[in-house]
Amino acid sequence: MAELERKDIQGIVVSAYKHLHCAAFLLLRVRNAPPARTWLARTVTEVMASEAKNAALSINIAFTYSGLKNLGLGQNALDAFSLPFQEGMAAPYRARLLGDNEENAPAGWDWGAPNNPVDVLLMIYGKDEATLNAALQREQNALPAGGVELVKILSAQRQPNTHEHFGFADGIGQPVMEGTGNKQRQLERTHHATELPVGEFLLGHPNVYNVIAPSPAVKPADDPQNLLPVIPADAAGLNAEAGMHDLGRNGSYLVFRQLAQRVAQFWQFLDKSTCAANGASNPEARDRLGAKFVGRYKSGAPLVLSPEHDNPALQNENNFTYYPTDPHGLACPIGSHVRRCNPRDSLGPDPATALNSANRHRLLRRGRPYGHPLENPLVDDGAERGLHFICLNSDIERQFEFVQQTWVSNPVFAGLDGEVDPLVGDLLRGNSMFTVQAEPLRRRLQGLSRFVVTKGGAYFFLPGVQALKYLASLRS
Amino acid sequence: MTHTVLTFISKVKPDQADRLGKVLDEIDKDPESNPYVPFRSLSLLHFASVVLHQSPDTPEYGPYLIFENNFDGELNDYLEDLYVHASSGLHQIYSACLDYTVTSASDRRGIIDYLRAHVVLPNAYHIGNTGRSVARILQEQELHDALEAHADTLVERGKPASPGDLLANFQQFVRDDQKWSWIPGVGPRQTFVEQFANWSKLILVIVIALVLLPIWFVPFVICVLVLRYKESTDPVLNNLADSENVRQLLEKENQTKIVQNHMASITMVKPGWLRRAALWTVLWAVNLLARARATHGELSGIPSIHFAHWSMIDNGRRLLFLSNFDGSWENYLDDFIDKAAVGLTGVWSNTFNFPRTYFLIFGGAKDGPRFKAVARNGQTITNAWYSAYRDQTVQGIDNNSSIREDLLKPQDATGAMALLQRL
Repeated sequence: MAELERKDIQGIVVSAYKHLHCAAFLLLRVRNAPPARTWLARTVTEVMASEAKNAALSINIAFTYSGLKNLGLGQNALDAFSLPFQEGMAAPYRARLLGDNEENAPAGWDWGAPNNPVDVLLMIYGKDEATLNAALQREQNALPAGGVELVKILSAQRQPNTHEHFGFADGIGQPVMEGTGNKQRQLERTHHATELPVGEFLLGHPNVYNVIAPSPAVKPADDPQNLLPVIPADAAGLNAEAGMHDLGRNGSYLVFRQLAQRVAQFWQFLDKSTCAANGASNPEARDRLGAKFVGRYKSGAPLVLSPEHDNPALQNENNFTYYPTDPHGLACPIGSHVRRCNPRDSLGPDPATALNSANRHRLLRRGRPYGHPLENPLVDDGAERGLHFICLNSDIERQFEFVQQTWVSNPVFAGLDGEVDPLVGDLLRGNSMFTVQAEPLRRRLQGLSRFVVTKGGAYFFLPGVQALKYLASLRS
Repeated sequence: MTHTVLTFISKVKPDQADRLGKVLDEIDKDPESNPYVPFRSLSLLHFASVVLHQSPDTPEYGPYLIFENNFDGELNDYLEDLYVHASSGLHQIYSACLDYTVTSASDRRGIIDYLRAHVVLPNAYHIGNTGRSVARILQEQELHDALEAHADTLVERGKPASPGDLLANFQQFVRDDQKWSWIPGVGPRQTFVEQFANWSKLILVIVIALVLLPIWFVPFVICVLVLRYKESTDPVLNNLADSENVRQLLEKENQTKIVQNHMASITMVKPGWLRRAALWTVLWAVNLLARARATHGELSGIPSIHFAHWSMIDNGRRLLFLSNFDGSWENYLDDFIDKAAVGLTGVWSNTFNFPRTYFLIFGGAKDGPRFKAVARNGQTITNAWYSAYRDQTVQGIDNNSSIREDLLKPQDATGAMALLQRL
């Protein structure tokens, strides 16, 4: 396959910036296009500078549909983006399929809902607090008054902390993109790597169906400076004839969800479910039930490989499947979080077909926790904490929304009935159960409450560098 | 027990289409007990849908009213039931149709004859839960729920027990209650005679085809070559799906707490007799295979279809597809692509704009993004939709049946464990 056009790809696509321990996300509104484009032209140079080897600071930038529109992108180009991006995460039927109902509904969001929209996401990663804070100050000062307005700063928790707030290791299983050279690293770290075509994550490249991932394009006349690549005859796609200029190439759809975690509520529920008849806590059983919810122990060790107890030696282990070892969920419950989010070979009679199907719905996760860890997980301190869930994909409907709808929030997932993902599912009444498969009889836990609440979110487009230059060059 | 799968199709008076649309909206707000057609009262009915199709791309057809019915038993009993519970609603609905001459809802004969005259039987259909009546599906679900609740109390009591003892406990539990006395009396999903008939038909067809091979082989090869030429030049869709249509479809899909969805699609068949003949033949073959082979909940590996059917309408100029399936549209389409691309391509490659195919059945749906765009464009809004068991899946219903079938049989330890695992 062809070399990745690395100079045109924003850094977050190929790296989770694990070496940059501090991060903040600026949510912005475009108020006036001309100064905003001038500002963007300057920001593009910073995005490019991020590519320098061992940069201590990295900046990435992404736009919502309204952001592109407010920058002055024409309607024809806007219409060429995928529908979920055009409509946004908060559109009523999208909220419904994502499980953003009741408490999670966009009406209650801090940002991203129709009453508090955002246009631009500026992602800043620094190697330490001083670097990050200096950059934050600089970026805020650079916002042109009346042109670009700050809506909100979302801070991330200092890394390295690979454990999310409930206390479990996170981010172990990730697909890798062809051409990045990440496969070897992944294999070494987790003993497993699912390598997927570039077009699963970057627009304008062949995807898992070996056809071009739909990518928005503009007419040559709309790109007089020829900033965008011309689509060759063998790479035409939907709404993108040969000869048009590819606006989406090397760009990706970035999904951002701010998910608050009710840590004390989570552990109190587990405590109550495992305490002795006299009410005494049983910490060991509590942790074990928590692991059943997640599908991995706190260390990260998968239940499939270590059904009886945590085994820190397996903390990064990802080389396992469900079908041959645990088809009935006796080790790792069928409804557990990791099994729902990536069922691997477990769905359907034929494991190879099932694995192939499951791999059509993978995401590059780039999230970071926020807020301070809760000191005593059983006692609420009233503070907000959670995860800035960030993922990249080329087809929001087939990847992110599919995972969320068909696996995470599906009450009849894999033969279950009346339950959803115990961590992030839409725990409506009637779906608030969790089944722990066991022999001879399963145990059903009733009355789970929402342990994770959606606080905000949006679908962004993370353009390639040439597309950023193009956006900065618009005249309207 | 057999099912009947059919539609009533009528042409709508153009000036009445809006009024009719409003009536259908009313029905959809409360499909179970709306005043027009209170579907819950129809005890034989599994799924029904009503589609008011405006034929936007082909105005010469005008608006159509398509009333899909998937029910137990024969048409006569169902029509009587329909009339008894919905005579005035049917009268109001069909008064909007072109050739409806009945003047009063009390004209029983008139309404039933009208419906009978508008029956369109499918060219091919699939039924997920072969041989199960609505009543049985609901009964077996009730049994499963009761067993689950009983299992909860056993787990709470927490006394260790062997699988055999536990199963004996469950058996006693149902024997103790008169309510479950129907369990041993339920018949098989399919009788041996039914299975034998379907298989022997399939085998007979294959034998006849082989015997007649010398006669049809040359014409067949010529048809294939002509088709190969046509499919290399047929136009394919090069645009994203029509976003307005997708929006309207999404408004109706994925209603919270319903695990099923409905899909109605009307597509133009490509011009020429060869395409019509190819489509007719493929559907005939699909039907033959489905009768014999797709009797265990799956159609070509797709485990989520309750009732689906294909009808060639308008003298074969258009293809109507109606499906009642579990889960999300994306999942359904992905299953099609990953597991049933050949059959699906064989059918829809004969309709307009389908992705490029090779020899009718290859390629096509394998082009995921383009196939999904074509599928969305062909889809039409389901104005009203009813399911008799909206929170149940094909696989769940099958599981309920298996539990019921095995519960009172003597089991060894392995069998007992397998049965307990079904909970």
